[in-house]
Amino acid sequence: MTTNNKTSKGVLVDLTRCIGCRGCQIACKSWNERSTKDTVMSGVFTNPPKLNSETYTHINYIEQPQDSGQAWHFVKDQCMHCKDPACVSACPVNALEKTSTGPVVYHYSRCIGCRYCMIACPFQIPKYEWEKALTPWVQKCTFCSERIANELVPACIKVCPTQVMHYGTLEEVLREAKKRQQDSPGRYHDRIYGEKEAGGTAWVYLSSVPFEQLGFNVNIPDVQLPSLTWASLNKIPATVGGFVVALSLIAWFRNRGSKGEQSAQGKEK
Amino acid sequence: MTNHWIDIRNADVILAMGGNPAENHPISMKWVLWAMERGAKLISADPRFTRTSARADVYAPLRSGTDIAFLGGMINYIIRNNLYFKEYLSRYTNAPFLVNPAFRGPTDLDGIFSGYDGKKRKYDKKSWAFQKGAKGIPKTDYTLNNPNCVFQLLKKHYSRYTVEMVSSVTGTPEDKLREVYRLYASTGKPDKAGTVMYAMGWTQHTVGTQNIRAMTIIQFLLGNMGIAGGGVNALRGESNVQGSTDHGILFHILPGYLPVPKASLTDLKTYIEKTTPKANDPKSVNWWKNKGKYITSYLKAVYGDNATKKNDFGYAWLPKLDDGMNMSWLMLFDAMFKGQFEGFFAWGQNPACSGSNAGKVRKAMEKLKWMVNVNLFDNETGSFWRGPGVNPKDVQTEVFELPCCSSVEKEGSITNSGRVAQWRYKAVDPVGESKSDSDIMNELYFRVKRLYEQEGGKYPDPILNLTWDYGEKGADGKVKEVDTHLVAREINGYYHADVYDKKKGKLLGRKGELCKTFGHLQADGSTSAGNWLYTQSYIQKGAKTINMMARRSTKDPTGLGLYPEWAWAWPVNRRILYNRASVDVNGKAWNPKKAVIRWNAATGKWTGDVPDGGAPPLNQAKGTLPFIMKPDGVGSVFGPGRADGPFPEHYEPLECPVQENPMSKKHRINPTVKLFFDVKGPHDEPVKEGGLAEDTFLTCDVRYPYVATTYRVSEHWQTGVLTRHQPWLLEMVPQQFVEMSHELAAEKEIRNGDPVTVSSARGKVLAYAMVTSRFRPFKVAASTVHQVGLPWCFGWQYPEKGDQGDSSNLLTPTIGDANTMIPETKAFMVNVEKA
Amino acid sequence: MATVKEYYQSQPRGMKILFALVGIGLLTILVRLATGLGATTNLSDDVPWGLWIAVDVLCGVALAAGGFSVAAAVYIFNMKKYRPIVRPAVLTAFIGYLVVVFGLFVDIGKPFSFWHPLVMWNYHSIMFEIVWCITLYTAVLALEFAPAFLERFKWEKTLNVLKKFIYPLVIAGIVLSYLHQSSLGALFLIVPQKLNHLWYSPIIPQLFFLSAIALGLAMVSLESIMGSRVFKREYEMGILQGLTKGVAIVLAIYLVVKIADLAVRGSLPLVFTSGAASFFFITEMLVGVLIPLALFARKQTRESVNGILTASSFVIVGIVMNRFNANFFTQAGTGTFYFPAILEFLVTIGLISLAILLYRLAVTYLPVFPEAERT
Ligand SMILES: Nc1nc2c(c(=O)[nH]1)N[C@H]1C(S)=C(S)[C@@H](COP(=O)(O)OP(=O)(O)OC[C@H]3O[C@@H](n4cnc5c(=O)[nH]c(N)nc54)[C@H](O)[C@@H]3O)O[C@H]1N2
Ligand SMILES: Nc1nc2c(c(=O)[nH]1)N[C@H]1C(S)=C(S)[C@@H](COP(=O)(O)OP(=O)(O)OC[C@H]3O[C@@H](n4cnc5c(=O)[nH]c(N)nc54)[C@H](O)[C@@H]3O)O[C@H]1N2
Ligand code: SF4
Ligand code: SF4
Ligand code: SF4
Ligand code: SF4
Ligand code: SF4
Ligand SMILES: [Mo]
Repeated sequence: MTTNNKTSKGVLVDLTRCIGCRGCQIACKSWNERSTKDTVMSGVFTNPPKLNSETYTHINYIEQPQDSGQAWHFVKDQCMHCKDPACVSACPVNALEKTSTGPVVYHYSRCIGCRYCMIACPFQIPKYEWEKALTPWVQKCTFCSERIANELVPACIKVCPTQVMHYGTLEEVLREAKKRQQDSPGRYHDRIYGEKEAGGTAWVYLSSVPFEQLGFNVNIPDVQLPSLTWASLNKIPATVGGFVVALSLIAWFRNRGSKGEQSAQGKEK
Repeated sequence: MTNHWIDIRNADVILAMGGNPAENHPISMKWVLWAMERGAKLISADPRFTRTSARADVYAPLRSGTDIAFLGGMINYIIRNNLYFKEYLSRYTNAPFLVNPAFRGPTDLDGIFSGYDGKKRKYDKKSWAFQKGAKGIPKTDYTLNNPNCVFQLLKKHYSRYTVEMVSSVTGTPEDKLREVYRLYASTGKPDKAGTVMYAMGWTQHTVGTQNIRAMTIIQFLLGNMGIAGGGVNALRGESNVQGSTDHGILFHILPGYLPVPKASLTDLKTYIEKTTPKANDPKSVNWWKNKGKYITSYLKAVYGDNATKKNDFGYAWLPKLDDGMNMSWLMLFDAMFKGQFEGFFAWGQNPACSGSNAGKVRKAMEKLKWMVNVNLFDNETGSFWRGPGVNPKDVQTEVFELPCCSSVEKEGSITNSGRVAQWRYKAVDPVGESKSDSDIMNELYFRVKRLYEQEGGKYPDPILNLTWDYGEKGADGKVKEVDTHLVAREINGYYHADVYDKKKGKLLGRKGELCKTFGHLQADGSTSAGNWLYTQSYIQKGAKTINMMARRSTKDPTGLGLYPEWAWAWPVNRRILYNRASVDVNGKAWNPKKAVIRWNAATGKWTGDVPDGGAPPLNQAKGTLPFIMKPDGVGSVFGPGRADGPFPEHYEPLECPVQENPMSKKHRINPTVKLFFDVKGPHDEPVKEGGLAEDTFLTCDVRYPYVATTYRVSEHWQTGVLTRHQPWLLEMVPQQFVEMSHELAAEKEIRNGDPVTVSSARGKVLAYAMVTSRFRPFKVAASTVHQVGLPWCFGWQYPEKGDQGDSSNLLTPTIGDANTMIPETKAFMVNVEKA
Repeated sequence: MATVKEYYQSQPRGMKILFALVGIGLLTILVRLATGLGATTNLSDDVPWGLWIAVDVLCGVALAAGGFSVAAAVYIFNMKKYRPIVRPAVLTAFIGYLVVVFGLFVDIGKPFSFWHPLVMWNYHSIMFEIVWCITLYTAVLALEFAPAFLERFKWEKTLNVLKKFIYPLVIAGIVLSYLHQSSLGALFLIVPQKLNHLWYSPIIPQLFFLSAIALGLAMVSLESIMGSRVFKREYEMGILQGLTKGVAIVLAIYLVVKIADLAVRGSLPLVFTSGAASFFFITEMLVGVLIPLALFARKQTRESVNGILTASSFVIVGIVMNRFNANFFTQAGTGTFYFPAILEFLVTIGLISLAILLYRLAVTYLPVFPEAERT
């Protein structure tokens, strides 16, 4: 399962451009026909406080008191569309699929609702329709795959007034990210979040401050997470073979001399 | 806006002050960021750290209502440090003009200018006049050294605004002030541009106009007017508020900024004589000299063939204001409260929530016999009779609701802040029985007209003589459906006869054709123009009519983002006003890299943007001055036209946290504001029973110790009638909130998210605490002043759950700006308590 | 009806309670099916796996590990001594798996799509492997346990056919069990950044397998003791001591591997620096490994039924804790506190009661224990 950076789409999210207007949040709801959940003014702007089955993306408002001044960061959050997604490898029924164009899409009719994808995703992205009795689905950003298929830009990207998101092939997106870092020394923190995390994601981020300050998980290893399970899974045929042979041999060896099972059992009666 | 949205990208320094573009004009931030990515700096000066501040290079906090001090300090800083653009200042502004030696300012008179009459709360402006030479042209000293010249007076006036003094008034740390001043003043170089993005944070004050004047002075000092990336840019609000102002929605102006006739201007001739400015300087274009042509053409548009030379073109039919009469918002609702109206059309508005001192507004409506609410939805205004604390049985007002369709259900133009009139098309059919505003007006007009025809009336002429050719008429004579194109054409205007150039005898246009430009408009009734500023917006080439507003070309020959063939801008498609100030007297651009216009000596013509008049550069014989709308042709550093002084002076808001004005002990508040509640003493304290209980105010009162302001959020629109029905938007901002500092919250034992009561001398609202480091206590004159802020997008009616809190305008005062009467909803005093 | 009623009334009080709990559990399951997970559980986007996964699935499977362990001992290693407990162990495993199947059915969002993994294959998915293992191993266990039925109903022919396949069945069972026990651990391989490295390890599958054997054997001991008590049989001290030795050896290996693993990965300091995780880890190790090992080290323990009972219980509790911890600490990063809802408890209690009830019924009516066979 490898992603071709040349053909697969990606997005550069340049957080230094975000003005926190939440146009993206609304555009996403509009295109994806999402409804709402009850919220309150809890004292922060982030609302809904977390992504949920009706909210594929939101802006996280991070207030950062500083001695010398103030800072307020706006962080757009959605599925990262990993190059080798943990969720896809975790799903027992191929309900999640990494498409060759980039989006990680969901085939609801396959899903059994085991929620292993939610456990597996390093970015806490898939959300569940807990309130539905019969047909609860997993929900997450679709990368507007139908729009991409029709050569349209994803809804949130289209609507963004300040062009926070740069959309293109993954290769081009990464090139742009590096170019911006080089062209404006001092403007950006040196990391490109998503370039390496979990083996690389299709959505990558630039920020002016270290990502840990923005609530990003910076402990995600660079490995493609599915490779960790695959390392175990791919041993199965050998293990099974080995076990069968070994057990048969042991059984033969240990049981030579004793009579058949039937008699053994009969004797004990 | 003197410039336009895209032009912001040409700036080197952008000051966002008195406006919050990131939240209220998000698209504008595209151009701000564009500029920033090419090295420009953004300054945000706001009482609280906003989403604009989040992107700014420098953030400076200031206490609400102290912008003049802040900007006065900048003027002082620029002058003291010699950072002004002298060549520009001396040639293109009235800085070198000599003022009447009798003129005195607040430095000498402890807070006021000469000529003040305390009883009338008005200035006699005689001493503010310019000294005139033999030809009636103002005297000048281009060295700017004459002690009576405007520049010296300016220097003297603002010498009191030292950084230390300013800081003690505004609460801005001194180093922040210096940082902002240094940065902004860096645009005083010829090749640097600084722009300001402001809106309600500046206007909604008793000194609103002067806030903007202060900035204008700075822009003149730094040579930032007329250039690319410069200007004084009001980020206008409601999508078409620019268009509606252009077309005369305000009580004191007719379309095209022609003054509304006063009762004493009894005939057209008097009107023209009294309202047309005169200029004796041949270098001054004094564009308003054409007013006679414009008012006549306007009358022709309104009354058509019924307007003849004989009947003064129907001037008598125009409604008149009594002399001195002011019919602005606060006055209207005051009159309504006092029972002076029978009926009221609340047309596309929600005063029950948007009106300052909304409690009074709501009570005022109870005094009406009838009210018509023309709106997309029922709102707190249409349902005022069943609002909180109102018993429907006690209300006699008959309320009619006329469902109106939304902007996407009708065709027409909207004019944005940059004066660009853009044609928009209908996207979907109106829902149900709703009609467009113009069709509702059409119905109304036809019925009123028929009543006059059938029953007569006191004065039927103004109605019966109106032209109403907006579409095909039925048998009853009624226009079946309004065709907005016909309205647009009427606004543009027609030739009502073959019109010839008076000097050259050339044919300008044939009878019946659409008028090509306002240069062709005539004072003899041979042309019409519903709004002279829009003549050229809908033109005719032979038999073909061209809707200039519908143009969509993205050609950009100058590379400055003028896009001259994208829609159409008034006047005459000029994208940057006063652009003749972008070049020196020889016609050479101050900044050749961003030349708005260029003089081509060979052709004798300007290229680039449409210049303010085609005359050659100033130093040539026929050259003209750049500020063509000003009688003197130059920018007004000294502005004797304003009610409250030729230079902005700091006064405290009606309700403020300090006992006395730190700048002048004797005058706490703007001495010329119209008071609704009597005051006494040097500190303008409220007199006991000094007015209606509803208009009470309390200043520096322990019961209301915190400064408050109101503002918008990106997620809601205005009073929220369009957005509180939207679950997606409500999900993001579901309830009224009040932002406050950690320090204040700790003092009041309020935690994040707690329900709190915010109260003022006039009312109280429920809000949810948002405890944030984005608000910080201010150090004002050695004491700590806390400020809080609330959005004003809520009302009691929606969401239906009802826990969202009512309009924050229940708190705001009845007081307005001395010049415009815009209510002071940006600075008042409140208390906050845990609910 | 009357007979059912009579039957019910004839039961001792313990059984009545079990019946009631099972009834309540089944009703709750109906409620869950009708109203959905949101309405019946405290699960959320932050904690999508709760009590049901932790107990019904992770622990249910682990508890069933006795089945293959004993079968291996008897059939593969020819340790005849343990023959008497083969059936109870296989029965336990079988019932354990039925509970797991039930538990999964209730837990997955779309219970009636449970068969999807059998047709829609993603062999990259551990969950896929697990579903297959459960399915196959349940079938194997059914076959392994079938002789009890066949004997009871005297279907000698089938019995004989079946007996021919006992070795392949046992080997299949062991292989599937290994795969399955370890893949429960492998579920967590994909979350190296979520699960504290006290638990997370590339060899977590093997650690799960090892601990499952200990747990399974401890469970068999427990059952044997309980069985003897209920049926007022004599304690099979020989078997018990053998089992105990097995448990101790496996635990010792587990301990060594665990510590070595932590050491090799440089994660030893985590034992004391991980806050709540440290506390739970230390508790789990104490209860499940160190205390039992210490107890088993004493002769008195090994020789007294109560000692064995106590030590085995420690093992069971400790390793159940391990499964809980792995599940919950994987989901702890979100900061959301999860405590199961009452209905979740009712289902789990119902399923456990069902297991006990089935066991009780089976041992009563089928030849499970040697004594029973004799009757
Ligand atoms: N999303 C959204 N956009 C809108 C609107 C809306 O309702 N919602 N309304 C539209 C309309 S009609 C208008 S008029 C514009 C208004 O646009 P803005 O003027 O930008 O709107 P406000 O939020 O009212 O006020 C702007 C800022 O002024 C600050 N402020 C308060 N007091 C002072 C002061 O004394 N000095 C200074 N310097 N700043 C102060 C406030 O903290 C606030 O951040 O927005 C338009 N755009
Ligand atoms: N405290 C405080 N008060 C303020 C301000 C502030 O900053 N602070 N700002 C002030 C400002 S700048 C403004 S502009 C005013 C705004 O005050 P209002 O204009 O009274 O308030 P809106 O909510 O914009 O009301 C517009 C109404 O028009 C309706 N509407 C929308 N489209 C159409 C249409 O096509 N036709 C018709 N007929 N109706 C339509 C909407 O449903 C809505 O009810 O509020 C002012 N009040
Ligand atoms: S971010 Fe999570 S849900 Fe999205 S592709 Fe990656 S693993 Fe899957
Ligand atoms: S919940 Fe659905 S999509 Fe997620 S892993 Fe399970 S089957 Fe796949
Ligand atoms: S890509 Fe599409 S689905 Fe994903 S956040 Fe953007 S709008 Fe929503
Ligand atoms: S639309 Fe763009 S600027 Fe607005 S919040 Fe989303 S990413 Fe930020
Ligand atoms: S809401 Fe409309 S008018 Fe306002 S910035 Fe967005 S697009 Fe422009
Ligand atoms: Mo406005």
